[in-house]
Order: sequence, then structure tokens, then C-alpha cells
Amino acid sequence: MKQPKILFLIVIALLPLTLVSCISGGARLAKGWSGTAVHDGIAYVGTVDGRVVAINSSTENLEWSYSTAQVNAPSSGLSCGQTSIPTAIYGTPVVDRDIVYIGTYSGQVLALNMLARSQNLTFPQQRYGEWEWDCPIDNAKSNAIVADLLVREDAIYVSSSNGRVYSLDKEFGDLNWESKVLDETHRKLWTSPVIPGDTLYVSTFDGHIYALSLETGELLDWSFESAAGFASSPVIYEDTIFLGSFDRYLYAVKIGSDVPIWKFPQEKPAGNWFWASPIVNEGIVYAGCLDGRVYAIEAKTGGNLWEFDAGNPIVSSPVLMDNLLIVTDESGTVYVFDLSAELEDEAMPLKAISIGADVRSSFCAQEGLVYIRGEDNQLYVVDINMGGVSWKVNLTIEE
Amino acid sequence: MSFLDVWYLIIGNPVLNVLIALSHLLSGSFGLAIIALTIIVRLISWPLTKRQLKSSKALQDMQPKIQELQKKYGKNKQKLQQETMKLYKEAGVNPLGCLWPMLVQLPIWIALYQAIMRALATTPENLLDLAHRLYSWDIVNQAIPLNSHFLWLDLGGSGDFILAIIVGGTMWVQQKMTQAPAVDPGQQSTSRMMLLMMPLMFGFITLMVPSGLALYWAVSNIIGIITQYFFTGGWGYLKFRSPFQSKQ
Repeated sequence: MKQPKILFLIVIALLPLTLVSCISGGARLAKGWSGTAVHDGIAYVGTVDGRVVAINSSTENLEWSYSTAQVNAPSSGLSCGQTSIPTAIYGTPVVDRDIVYIGTYSGQVLALNMLARSQNLTFPQQRYGEWEWDCPIDNAKSNAIVADLLVREDAIYVSSSNGRVYSLDKEFGDLNWESKVLDETHRKLWTSPVIPGDTLYVSTFDGHIYALSLETGELLDWSFESAAGFASSPVIYEDTIFLGSFDRYLYAVKIGSDVPIWKFPQEKPAGNWFWASPIVNEGIVYAGCLDGRVYAIEAKTGGNLWEFDAGNPIVSSPVLMDNLLIVTDESGTVYVFDLSAELEDEAMPLKAISIGADVRSSFCAQEGLVYIRGEDNQLYVVDINMGGVSWKVNLTIEE
Repeated sequence: MSFLDVWYLIIGNPVLNVLIALSHLLSGSFGLAIIALTIIVRLISWPLTKRQLKSSKALQDMQPKIQELQKKYGKNKQKLQQETMKLYKEAGVNPLGCLWPMLVQLPIWIALYQAIMRALATTPENLLDLAHRLYSWDIVNQAIPLNSHFLWLDLGGSGDFILAIIVGGTMWVQQKMTQAPAVDPGQQSTSRMMLLMMPLMFGFITLMVPSGLALYWAVSNIIGIITQYFFTGGWGYLKFRSPFQSKQ
């Protein structure tokens, strides 16, 4: 009698252990979903193993690769130890002349010189204009940089998970200014700022749009407040800000106004969040939604011009190439819409091309080719005319 | 449909959505939402708790008889155990009955652990995954993203020593109130080990799991103590001294 009882007690005592060690459905490590940028025939992209790579799109060969620093993360399960993991990269590399700028989840902004990286010189090579900048944690939980960097004239603008926006000198990486903490509740600024003139606009998870002075980073008089948080980065078209919200509406806000011009959909909310930033072309807002639909909305009125159901969530922002609207859904299908067609025909995609891998990252399109990094860590190049994947390259280093 | 799909459909996603909805109703406080959920879970499991409390009260009332048996069969451990078990059986009492409510709550703990990690969305992947698990209720979508701060705690981060002491301490008090003293010295060591092991274990685990889950344990224990106090009319076995202790 006694032995089974002790066994029972041990089993009971071990149950909490199994609770922690056997279930993994909760947290997921940050793996990153870096977007792709193409400049002078070279595709730049961040990989899931924390590297920034440059791929020659003519030869399909690796031009150079730079490994960002590893970071410590808690071991899984009940182990109290730490393990080294690659830094996640969420932003899209920004190319300006011979420098590639990238922000990392470990809170660094890197300026990588193409020549120095192709020669694999020790980083940073100051004589080549290379630098790195460490974002302060500033009493927040994290200093992670998730949003795309914004490079403009002589400065780089960085949204940080510590709740501040930073302006850095483009040439040396020196701090120009830092904003006050814009979202005290969540701190996470995971959306990119936008600069239509001499003002910087940024949206927050606590439902604000703030206007900051480009010179000093100080808050300007106008801000907009919504009941729900903003999920997507703002886009500006003719003094109106368009952005998606967690309440499943797309908002159009006139700069200087306290009330939105319109919310879309006008009757009941969409099936899910407008996570990806919309794009605006000739008075029409094109927005992908996590409910799997692409919406074409009249920018002035918020009227629904057409919608297309892709059937899978749309995580990446749509892209324009000439008269074509390119949309990818999360399952990796690339849809091509002809914007020069009559409105009723516009809603039917010209082509639907599957790359065979999930897509969450930003992509770019140039000269008939669409460059997409799949969640399988491969770079896919889709030829729109051919209607298929032209070539692909594995971004994982073979051991 | 896999086991995981069924799990999320029946338990995982409902707990997640209820927790987020509660958070919205309680001024965006995720900590208060966890406390409210704890009260709801305790209310749902009240029939089971009531049975356990009745059993506990019966055990307390049986103590004079058990002490008589101890005097009578003190030297014959096997006989003492047999007679004690017979007494329990006649009274329809299970001395380990207090553990069943804990077992029943285990799926809730797992769901809550997952819900806290998912709802607080510490990484962009978590936040995007969350979108696929939310119901289309306005109340849920308007609450996102959640505020992870409550009192001095970051509910998505690991618990600290203060919380670990609160969890371990309240668990010890609750167990001590309900756990009947052992009928022989051999059992007493097992009983004492159990009384210490569980609070220590939970206190230790508090340092590793999200503090939101530990908050659930602490509040659940405190509710348990209060219920026990009023239902049995006192501190139960907390003040009870085993006859074996007085002999030592």
C-alpha cells in the first residue's frame, strides 16, 4: 500500500515539471522575416541564421555575407542555462550608394560597406564608412529593432522596442536625437516611421499617430488617438495617413484632424487585422488583410472598389511594378493584378504563381522579377512573364 | 484533426480569448484578467472543491477516533494502517482527496501558460500567430496588444523571489490546512516531505514560468485558503500537532 502511495505522490509532484517542460505551444523564439531589397542587380536580404547576404541576380551567386553577432537566449524547458542563437532580422536592408543599412532584433543598426564585405574585412571598417550603433534598452524589456529603417538625406530613423524613435547620422552613426517614449504601455515600436516633408509620423500599439520634428525629435502639436492599437506602419498620400488597426479596420486620417476621414470596411469589421501596410496608387488604396482578402478602396471616400479572396492571410505589403499590383499570401502564392484593366477586370488576378514556401516578409519587384524570401530561408525569384519561379537560392550555410 | 487542433479548439483558444476579453473589461489590466479567470475557474470547480472540503472536514472530525487507534495499535504499524483505512472507508473519506482539484486544474494551467505566452506576444511571430487564434469578438480585438505589467510584475517574464515565496507560502498554508496528519511515523515522513516538496517545487517553478501563471497559482491558493477557512470553520490542520511530533 505504501509504495504505490509514494509513487502517486512523486507523480503529483512531477506534474508541474511536465507542465513546463512538455508544452511548447506558448512562446516562439524570434526567428525574423527580413524583407528583400534589390539595388544594381544585387539582392540584399537578412537570413534566419542572422546574416545579411548579397546575391547577384545575374549569376545567382553569393557576392558576400556578413554574420551579425549571436545573442544569448534562455534554454528551452527547465534548463536554467543560456544558449547562443542567431540574431533575428525583421527589417528590410536599405541600400544607399555603397552602404547597406540593417536593424537587428538585438538592437543594433549596422552600416555595411559592399566592398569591405565582399573582401570579408573585419567589421566595422571606418575608412569604408562602416559603423554600428547599439540601441539602449532604456529600462524597457527590449531594445529590439523590428521595423524597417528609414533612410533620408543625411539621417537614418529607427523605431525601437524601447518605445523611442532615434535619428542617427548616416555617415558615422552618431545620435542626432531621440524622441521621448511614445508608448509607455507597450514600449514596442514595431512600425516604421514615414516622412512626407519635414515631419516624421509614427504609429503605436496604444493607438496613437504622433508627429515629430525632423530636426529635434520633439513631439509636434498634432497627434491622433484611436481606441484600438495600430498594427501596420503608416502610409501617406496627399496629406492623409492610411494604416491598419488591431480592431480589424483600415483607417484614413487627415493630418491635423482628430477624427478619421473613414474606416474600412464601413459596415462591419474585416475578418482579421490589417497587418501589412497598404499602398496607394492614383487615388486607390490597396490593402492586404490577414483575413485573406485584398481590398481596393477609394482613398477619398473609403468605398470598396473591389476585393479578392486569396484564401490565405496576407502578411506582406503589396508592391507596385509598372501597372501591375503584386500581392503574396502567407502560403506563398504570388498574385498579379493588372491595374490598367477596367475596374471590374482589375479584381481578377492575371496570374497566381506558387513558390511552394510560406511568405511573411516584405518583397520587392523589379524589371518583371519578384524577389521573395520564403520562410524556408530561400530566396525565390519569380518571373512574372514566365509565370513561375525563375531561380532560387538557399540562404542557409551548408555545414 | 490532430490532438493539438482539438486541444486548441476546446481549451486553448477559449481560455486565450476569455482572458483577453476579461482584460478589456477590466480596464486593460491583464493581471486583473488573470485574477478574474482564477475566480471563474474556482467557481466552475466548486462542486469538486466542496467535496474535497467535506472530506477534509470529515477527516478533522475523525481525529479523536484516529488518535484512539494510534494509542491502541501504536506498536503494530500494519494493523494501525489497516484500521485507519477501514475508518476512512466507513466514513467515505479519501485522505489524498485534496490533490484531485489540483489534477483537474492541470489542463487549465497548461492552457493558461500557453494563453499568457501567446496573448502577451513577446515576439513578432507570437503577435502574428495570435491573429489566427482570436475570435471575431470586438472586445477581444480591441484589447490587443496587451499590457504585460501588473503591480511590480512583468506577466510575460519569469517570476521573481517575492512571487515565488508567495506561491510557495500560500500553497504550504493551504496544504497544511487540508492535509490530515499521518497515522504512523513512517507515513508521517512521507506526509511531511509532501507538505514541503509541493510548495518548494512550485516556488522553484515560479522562477521559470511566466509570472502570469504564478499569479494564477498564488490567487488560486489564497482563494483556497479563504474557502477552506470559512467552510471548515477555522485553520484546519494548520494548528494541529501530530501525536508523533509531541513524542519526538
